Amino acid sequence: MKDTVTVRVQKVKKSGIKTRLIFFLILVAILLLVTLFANQIAPYDPYAQDLSRSMLPPSPEHWMGTDRYGRDLFSRVLVGAQTSIFATLALVGVISLFGTVVGTLCGYYGGALDSVVMRISDVCLAFPGLVFALAIAALLGGGVSNAVLALAVISWPKYARVARSQTLALKNSSFVAAARLSGSTSGQMILRHILPNILGPILVTAMLDIGTMMMELAGLSFLGLGAQPPTAEWGNMMSGGRSMLQTYPWLVLSPGFAIFLTVVIFNLLGDTVRDYMDPKNSRAR
Amino acid sequence: MKKILALLLALCMVLGLAACGSGSNAPAASGGKKTFVFGDTTFNAENEEPDINPHYAYSGWPCIRYGVGETLMKIADDGSLQPWLAESATNINETSWEIMIKDAVCFSNGKKCDAAAVKACLEHLIEVHERAADNLKIASMEADGQKLTIVTSEPNPILMNYLSEAYGCIIDMEVGIPENGCVVGTGPYVATEVVTDDHVSLVKNTNYWDGEVHIDEITVRTISDGDTLAMALQSGEIDAAYGMAYASYPLFENDNYKFTSIQTSRCFWGMVNLHVENPGYAIMSDPAVRKAIALGINKQGFVDVLLNGYGYTATGAFPDSFAFGQGVNTVSYDPAQAKAVLEQAGWVDTDGDGIREKDGQKLSIRWLTYPSRQELPLLAESAQATLKEIGIEVQINSTKDHNSIRKDPTQWDIWVSANVNAGLGDPANFFDTYCLDASIKNSGGHHSDRLEKLAVQLRGTFDPAARAKIAVEMQQELLDDNSYIFCSFLRMSMIMQKGVTGLEAHTCDFYELTAALDIN
Repeated sequence: MKDTVTVRVQKVKKSGIKTRLIFFLILVAILLLVTLFANQIAPYDPYAQDLSRSMLPPSPEHWMGTDRYGRDLFSRVLVGAQTSIFATLALVGVISLFGTVVGTLCGYYGGALDSVVMRISDVCLAFPGLVFALAIAALLGGGVSNAVLALAVISWPKYARVARSQTLALKNSSFVAAARLSGSTSGQMILRHILPNILGPILVTAMLDIGTMMMELAGLSFLGLGAQPPTAEWGNMMSGGRSMLQTYPWLVLSPGFAIFLTVVIFNLLGDTVRDYMDPKNSRAR
Repeated sequence: MKKILALLLALCMVLGLAACGSGSNAPAASGGKKTFVFGDTTFNAENEEPDINPHYAYSGWPCIRYGVGETLMKIADDGSLQPWLAESATNINETSWEIMIKDAVCFSNGKKCDAAAVKACLEHLIEVHERAADNLKIASMEADGQKLTIVTSEPNPILMNYLSEAYGCIIDMEVGIPENGCVVGTGPYVATEVVTDDHVSLVKNTNYWDGEVHIDEITVRTISDGDTLAMALQSGEIDAAYGMAYASYPLFENDNYKFTSIQTSRCFWGMVNLHVENPGYAIMSDPAVRKAIALGINKQGFVDVLLNGYGYTATGAFPDSFAFGQGVNTVSYDPAQAKAVLEQAGWVDTDGDGIREKDGQKLSIRWLTYPSRQELPLLAESAQATLKEIGIEVQINSTKDHNSIRKDPTQWDIWVSANVNAGLGDPANFFDTYCLDASIKNSGGHHSDRLEKLAVQLRGTFDPAARAKIAVEMQQELLDDNSYIFCSFLRMSMIMQKGVTGLEAHTCDFYELTAALDIN
């Protein structure tokens, strides 16, 4: 009787998680669609200056007001999403892919490769992340691609660590041993048996990382090492309006709200994906 | 008991937090002493002002601004010369000047400032300061009591103007240039500590020769960030500020603060790089491109919006309030004409990306500027947008390192800065510094035979009206070539707490902290 109740509770819980997952996936899908078609949706040219319309407060004509160059902030926030969100997704995609490949190979083959790569990752992890990224970005110069590269250099070890530990755990499991006995090559073992089984934790890490990476990219742009003016990018826009926070607050609040909203949505999605993939809930699937 | 402990802990936290935030707007007075804190965005190594030694680069500016050093003559707001340390200056003949030093003048260490002391100071200046030596052209000096006779190697009609430049601050060379940078001048304040890019500490000069000094201790803080400066003034951390961003002005337009403003000859202007080593030489040497750039910058919009009206558009290098700033002509903002000029010169957009090309070369220019004059990056971004409209791509490099980059002709196409062009009340300094073959800041490698001839003529002309006429011709030469583009002049302001008195803005931008400064 007790077991039946437990299973029912788990089913209800799982069903709630599934609903949440669908809800947040829809939100992310909307966000991505808006971002993708930002140029078409934007009511004004985000780069067209009109000094006669400088610093207009939010109004029905300009929903988020205008900046000091008379550019429509709503249009800039929309188009800025392309830089901010797509650059973040590209960054997370690259570091998770690279980290996973490196971590899996290290975990599977071990030996000198493992020792060398893990020590390199230790070095990367030993530095304060954003400070290290700042140094790299300063060395490479401003620009979104350089900021992405700088963050990629410091962020891949996280994924390598996860992939390596998961691979080590799986390497000695019975189904991998069985596959080895059946004559599978190392490549087949990794691709068919190990990678599919470690993707869950990697995916969860990546989902939870999107918000952090977005903040760090915006941070680099805010400090002048990411996207350069006049590129519409949220961190860069906040930096441009920083000096007018007290006098014209919408210059900072508009991109700031966009960052807040996007990071919250991706973080909640990440949390939900984690809950969904939690083995404790797996019996209810 | 636990509840009482929790309450006590909470009380301690609240009191602690309150103590942390106890910024005060009350007049600064500690132990009966009057203290004053001044925030300045420009006192830094970036502007070649690492300390207050007037014999190094532009460090004379903080020396004179903060009341440590004084010059023989001073520049009045109408550009005329007025006696300061000197009682009089007489031009005996084309190359000889007789200067009488005021009898009462003494250095802050109490030593009398006589002609011998001034001679020693100027000798050291021309020995170590290339720009000063080039400007002053001093061949010899003789000191006799309070009388100093200067003989120049060639006629120098504006010797006294040049001696009023910040590098002309008279310092005691018996003390010399101490390692801590605290030179001994004749001004109302004595420097006790100089920390580059951070602060300079000053105390009252008890031996001041020209009246009573009201403030006992002054700290000038380098606050390069405009927001920090605004918040420091709001919190009462500083008593007055120089270099406030115009966007922050509304915060102080109330009864708690006072403004002092004046039209200056500080000009936002650009110099085109015409060096053959410049990879962009083919573009920048094209007169049509230069003309299109001049036509494509919205000067009026920059002044009205980005300077919040605290300025006025420039035609030439000098404001038209000076005789030598009148009667020059140049193009004004006209995107349609700019497009036509480029079309005629063969610059067309062949690939539809909005940027023109010619002979396979994209019409892209590198705009070098710096952020410590907070409006310069705004001008860059504004020009970037308006020039893009006419098919010119602008890549902005706004960096503190602009002075070293400027010296490398391969790194930039147009260098845009903000300088006081007529601070000495005469036009020659601008041409001598930026436009001639021998100019130390002619980083763009500009050359014009006619300009060189006119400069020679200017050097030998003593009559101010005739000098003005030559200066107008020289400017017109620059403007016709479009290798120098003048955007606007600045209305300079300082903002202070309401209790501050005696802090006044001046057109030449040299004099800030004087004996008249007081705080109540």
